[in-house]
Amino acid sequence: MARQAASSSPVPPLIDWPAVHAAASVRLAMPRTPLRGRAGERLGAGTGASLEFQDYRTYAPGDDLRHVDWAAYARSELLTVRLYREEVAPRVDLALDVSRSMVVSEVKQRAFGELSALLACACAATVSDSRVITSPAAAPEPLTAPEHIERFLTCDVNQCAFEGGALPFRRRSVRIIVSDFLFPHDADTLISRLARESAWLAVVQLTLNEEAEPVVEGGRRLIDVEGNGEVDLVIDEAAVRDYRARFMRLRTGLSRAARRVGAPFAHVVAGTPIREVAGALAAAGVVEAA
Amino acid sequence: MIFTTPLGLLALFAIPGIVAIHLFRRRFPVRSVAGLFLWGAVRQTPEGGGRITKLPITRSLILECLAALALALILAGARIAPAGVSQHLVVLLDDSASMAAVGAGGESARDRAVQRVLSELDRLRAGARLTLIRSGDRPAILAGPASYLVEAKPALDAWRPDAPHHSMALGLRLALELAGRTGTVMVMSDMPSAARGEPHFEGGVWVALGDPVENVGITAAQRTSAPEDNRGLVSLTLANNAPAAATRRLSVHAGEKEVIARELTVPPGASSMTVPIPAGLPAVRVALSDDGLRRDNDVMLADPRARIVAIDNQLPDGRGRDAVVRALESVSGVTRSAPGTGHLAFVDAATLDQAPAPELWRAGFGRPPASWQAPGEPKDFIGPFILEKRHALLIGMTLGGVVWAGATPMAAGVARPVVSTGDQLLAGVATSATVSGSTSILVNIDLDRTNLIRSPDWPILISNLIEMRRQQLPGPERWNYRSGEWVRVRLDRDPKAQLRFRCGPVERALPAGRLIEFVAPSPGGLLQILDGDELLFEIGVNFLDETETALRDRSMGDSGEAGDVAGVRAETSATSDPLFWILLALAAAAMIANWLLLVPVRATRGPAAPGVAS
Repeated sequence: MARQAASSSPVPPLIDWPAVHAAASVRLAMPRTPLRGRAGERLGAGTGASLEFQDYRTYAPGDDLRHVDWAAYARSELLTVRLYREEVAPRVDLALDVSRSMVVSEVKQRAFGELSALLACACAATVSDSRVITSPAAAPEPLTAPEHIERFLTCDVNQCAFEGGALPFRRRSVRIIVSDFLFPHDADTLISRLARESAWLAVVQLTLNEEAEPVVEGGRRLIDVEGNGEVDLVIDEAAVRDYRARFMRLRTGLSRAARRVGAPFAHVVAGTPIREVAGALAAAGVVEAA
Repeated sequence: MIFTTPLGLLALFAIPGIVAIHLFRRRFPVRSVAGLFLWGAVRQTPEGGGRITKLPITRSLILECLAALALALILAGARIAPAGVSQHLVVLLDDSASMAAVGAGGESARDRAVQRVLSELDRLRAGARLTLIRSGDRPAILAGPASYLVEAKPALDAWRPDAPHHSMALGLRLALELAGRTGTVMVMSDMPSAARGEPHFEGGVWVALGDPVENVGITAAQRTSAPEDNRGLVSLTLANNAPAAATRRLSVHAGEKEVIARELTVPPGASSMTVPIPAGLPAVRVALSDDGLRRDNDVMLADPRARIVAIDNQLPDGRGRDAVVRALESVSGVTRSAPGTGHLAFVDAATLDQAPAPELWRAGFGRPPASWQAPGEPKDFIGPFILEKRHALLIGMTLGGVVWAGATPMAAGVARPVVSTGDQLLAGVATSATVSGSTSILVNIDLDRTNLIRSPDWPILISNLIEMRRQQLPGPERWNYRSGEWVRVRLDRDPKAQLRFRCGPVERALPAGRLIEFVAPSPGGLLQILDGDELLFEIGVNFLDETETALRDRSMGDSGEAGDVAGVRAETSATSDPLFWILLALAAAAMIANWLLLVPVRATRGPAAPGVAS
C-alpha cells in the first residue's frame, strides 16, 4: 500500500583522511601510449624537450644547433638533429557516480567517499590535470587538491550519470570510472562509450557485500533508492541464487568489456579497509606505487 | 444532518473492512536496495496469510477510510437539515359562489383570498410549499400536495368559486390530513366559521375575507306549460338582501332572441313573481341585470314535457270503480286510454294470474286468483297494519281507522307484502310477473265493503300508484335541476352509441343503460343528453342557492392560531444539497490521492540488458 520513501542522505560521505593519506602512496598507472597534455612529467605524443630520444631528422635552418648530432655528421657528413620526446602533464577525468545508490547504506557511503579520496590522492600524485565529472550537463570541475573531492560526493540524483548522454570527457584523457553499475545496461556499449577517444580507462565497481553476495533473509519489502519501484519478496535460496547469477553476469560483463578496451577493472567491496582497497586497485592495474 | 436513505449507512461497514485489510495485509521489513532489477519482478510475494501486527496508520488507510465514509454518507442521502425543511401552508379555499361577489371596492373575497395566500407565502421562508384545496361536497386538490409556489400559482389564479353553499367539513378534514404535523392550515372564506354554520375549527387559521354586498338573485325558478291556454309560465322567487327595494331589468331569452324584457322592482326579502311566456318555446334563459354576484342572476329553464300516464280502469262497476274514477280526477298528468293500451290498468285481482301486456302495470283489487289463495275464508281486519313505509306505494299513508274488509288468505311467496296484518298479506307486489316492464300490484281487499275508499288514504294510494308508474315512463324525472342534484333520466330504448351529457364547458360520458343517473354539474346551464350525436333530452341546470345570494352577513377577520409545526421535509434531488457535492469532492479527492500514492513508479530507464537483468 504505502510506499515508504527510500532514505538517502544528501550529506557528503565521511572520509577518514588520515587513513586515506596513509594508504595513498600510489599514483595512477599511466598507459604506455603517448599522452597529450600541458608540459609536465609524462612523455607526450609529440616532440619536446625531454631527455628521452625519439628520432633523427635532417637539419633545417633555425634548428637548435645544440641538438645537431655531430657524431653522425662526422660519420656521414650530413647535418642531422636529434629529436627528443616531449613531457606532458596528463589529463585525468575522474568520473563519479553520484546517484543515491552509492549511499544506499552508511557503509557504502563511507566506502564511496574513501575510494574517491584515494583516487583523488592518486591523481594528485600523478601530477596531472585532474578534473571531476559527475553529470553529463555540468562541465568538469578541476581537482586541485585531494580534499576538494568532498565537494563532489553529494549523492542526491536518481540516475547514474553514465546512463544518460555523453559525458564531457576530454580527448585523449585518462579516465577513471567509479560506480556500482547497479542499473540495467549493456556492458560492451557502456564501456565502449566511456572509452571512446580516451588515452586510458580504468573501471572501478563499488558494491556492498550484500549486493554482491546476498544471503537468505526471508520476507522483505525491497525499495529501490532511486525510485524505480518496490516489491515484496521472500528472499529465499532460490531468490538468492537467481540474484547472484544476475549480479555475476553483470560484473563479468563489465570486466570483459573493460578488457576489450584495455581498461583495468576492479571490484571493490564496501567495508574493505582503505589500505586493502589501494592494494586491490594496484593489483588490478588502476594505480601503481608512487 | 438528516439521511434520506438511512439504509445507505450500511456502507459504513466498508471502513472496518478497509481497516482489516490494512491490519492483515502482509508487511515485510523494508530494505533499501540499489538495483531492484537484479531481484527480478516476477518473484512476487507468495500466497499465504499475514500476521496481525499493530495497525499502521498510513496515509493510504486514512484516505481509503475517508473515501468510504464520504461515499457511505452519499449513499445514505446525507442532507443538511435546514436546507431540506420547508414551511408547508395548506390553504382551504371556500369555493362557494359568494366568494366571487364583488363589493363596492370592486374587489371580491376571492381576490382578497389570493392576495392573502401570496402574502403568507412571502412571509414564510423561500422555498415554502403550498397545498391548495377547493372546498365542496367533493373537495379537490387544486395544487400540491406541498407544491412550490411557481407550480401552485397558475391554479390559484385560475380558481373561480362558483359552487352552491356547502359544508367545509370535508375540505377541512382533507386539509388537516394533508397538513399533518408539518403544515399550517389556513381557511379562506367570506364568513367566520361560526357564522357560516361550521363547527369550531382548531388547528389552523380561519380567515374571513367577506364584504357585505347588496344583492338581488333568483333563488328558485320553475317553468310550466299550459298547452290548452297556448302559453307557458315562468315562476321566479327573488331574494333581495338590501334594506330597500331594488330595481332590476328582467329579460327572457329563447336562444338568441329576447322574448321578454322589463324593469321590475324587487322588494327587500324574498318575493315571487310569475312571467307568462309564449307556448312552445325551447329552453329559455331568464336573467336579471348584473349586480354584486352574477352567479345568481340568471337561470336556464328547459321546456317541461309532462309524462302522461294513460289509465285503463277495468274494475267492474260498483263502489270500487267509482272510487278510482273520483281519485283519478284529483291527479294531474293522467289520461284515460283504450283497453289494453294504457300504462296502468286497475283490474279485478282475480285476473292477475293472466299474462299482462308488455310495459303494462296492473293494480288488482279484490279476491286474488285461486292459485294464489290459501285455504280459509276472507276476513276483515281493523289493524294494526304493518306498512312497508319505504315503499313508494305507501308514502303518506297511515291506514288509520281503516277497516280492511274481505282479505283472502294468501299462499306464501306469491307476492311481496307491503301491507300486512299478522301473517295475512293485505297488499303486495306480485312476484310472478314474467313480461318485461310489467308489474302487478295486488290489493287484497273487498272495495264494496271496506271504508278505505272513503278514507284520506285512498287518493294517496291511487296517486302513489300513478307516480310509481310515471317514474317508469321514458324521460327525465324533472326538467329543471339545481347544481348538485341527482338527475334521473329513463330511456325508452337501449342506447345505440356512447351516452354522454354536455352542459356548457362540462362534457362527460355516461354509463350505458336505460336508467341514467348523474349529478347536475356546476356551473350549470342547458344540459343536453346525447346518444352519440343524437340529442335525447334537454334539461336546465341552475345555481339557485338562497344562502349564497344573501351577502349582507359577510365579514372579515382572522380566528384561530397556527401551531408550531416542523415544516415539510423537502425531497429534493441530491444535487440541490451542498453537502452532496462536498462529500463527492471529498471522496474523489481521497481516491485520486490514494491512487497517486499507490500507483507503481514506472521505470524511466531503458530495457535491461539481456545479459544482466532477466
